[in-house]
Amino acid sequence: MTFFVTSEPIGDGGNLGGLEGADAHCQTLATAVGAGDFIWRAYLSTQERPGEPAVNARDRIGQGPWHNFNGVMIASSLAHLHGDTIELARMGNNLHKQTGLTEKGAIVPGLYDFLDPRDNDWEYVKNTPYSNRHEVLTGSQPDGRAFPPGIDYTCNSWTSNEDPEEDAPGLTGGPGRPNAQIGFPDREGGGNGSWNSSHGTRGCSQEALPRTHGIGQYYCFAVTGEGQ
Amino acid sequence: MRRIVVSITLLVPFLVTVTALAQGVGHHAPRIFVPSELMSFFVTSEPIGDGGNLGGLEGADAHCQRLATNAGAGHRTWRAYLSTQARPGKPAINARDRIGDGPWYHPRGVLRRPIKTSEIHGDTLVEAQRGANMFKAFALTEKGDEINGVGDPLPNLHDMLTGTRPDGRAFTGTEDRTCNNWTSNDEGAAQVGHSDRIGYGNQSWNSSHATTGCSQEDFASWNGAGLFYCFAVD
Repeated sequence: MTFFVTSEPIGDGGNLGGLEGADAHCQTLATAVGAGDFIWRAYLSTQERPGEPAVNARDRIGQGPWHNFNGVMIASSLAHLHGDTIELARMGNNLHKQTGLTEKGAIVPGLYDFLDPRDNDWEYVKNTPYSNRHEVLTGSQPDGRAFPPGIDYTCNSWTSNEDPEEDAPGLTGGPGRPNAQIGFPDREGGGNGSWNSSHGTRGCSQEALPRTHGIGQYYCFAVTGEGQ
Repeated sequence: MRRIVVSITLLVPFLVTVTALAQGVGHHAPRIFVPSELMSFFVTSEPIGDGGNLGGLEGADAHCQRLATNAGAGHRTWRAYLSTQARPGKPAINARDRIGDGPWYHPRGVLRRPIKTSEIHGDTLVEAQRGANMFKAFALTEKGDEINGVGDPLPNLHDMLTGTRPDGRAFTGTEDRTCNNWTSNDEGAAQVGHSDRIGYGNQSWNSSHATTGCSQEDFASWNGAGLFYCFAVD
């Protein structure tokens, strides 16, 4: 296993303790299932800040290939994972609902699973492990790279659990709108089904994430490939 | 699925009726479904039934039109999403050039954003990377049913005949990918996509792999029944 979706979120919305905190969560979950020998990295980008260059999720995870809990290959390379050429992109990678498994081998509940009007309410979702929670944090563009500086797509480099002052409609960031870009391990939703960059969240608090059917899970990749 | 069958058992005392209904659950569920007036896309609820011999593009289009008419949507002009390959004196025909400009709504109307032509074919790199709104829950039959896919009760019927490359255009080589331009029910091969976008290591809705052979049995061996996509051009 060199790929999984975190079986549980850190639990403080978009505040993951930065990339370091997110990586440590990956490592802890992997270690608990006997996969701690790999170096695990969260698939997350951070945007450029004064004095801080951007970090691209795709540059953190080695070269591949990556395999899931069942040994099924998710992608053979960074180019396959992200669709670096238009031919590769049209075919897609092998990440879908049946392969986007947690480190415990579980499918992440996705669109249309156990539909319930309460399934965007954190109080319901946190006690209902089978409700739709298919939005995983990435903070990335479809090519796996960080967004340009300006509008927040990374909950302030994964340190913020704040929400916008007014719950404005829409699913993108903007001035005063903490926001995290998300993708779907079940490849359904958002009008495009992108695994890593479909749309934004309503805010960065733990309560805001479920409003669009996420709970703050994310992808963990073992650093694989040449030189490792 | 089991719960549905059990509740039917409690309600209906006649075993024959129960069996008939149980067989109908899923792909051919016997219920009245009126498609949305917006419907401009569907998956054929049934195959023509003679493997890759669809009677050419004309026969395939007529099948789309007939199914649409039966569902109350015959006022539109329907086209099968199929390509044919070039032959002496006959140029190739690209599926993407046959289906109009969209956007296309599925049989349940506006419940999901319509699909757009540039997105389903990934005409730009970002569109190709993101994907289109073509999902299992979008690829409904004209009767409003989902097509069984990977992980569903067998048989898996997710192979959709297209004869098409990922960009929606015909194959250029001499190798058959269209069951001899949709006239063969034995020799040849058909390029298929997956209505659930799962399988063969890729997520292509229109060009995942080729079948080996063009008979109904050949298609079944690859998880298909000879179903295909229909689009309204008007």
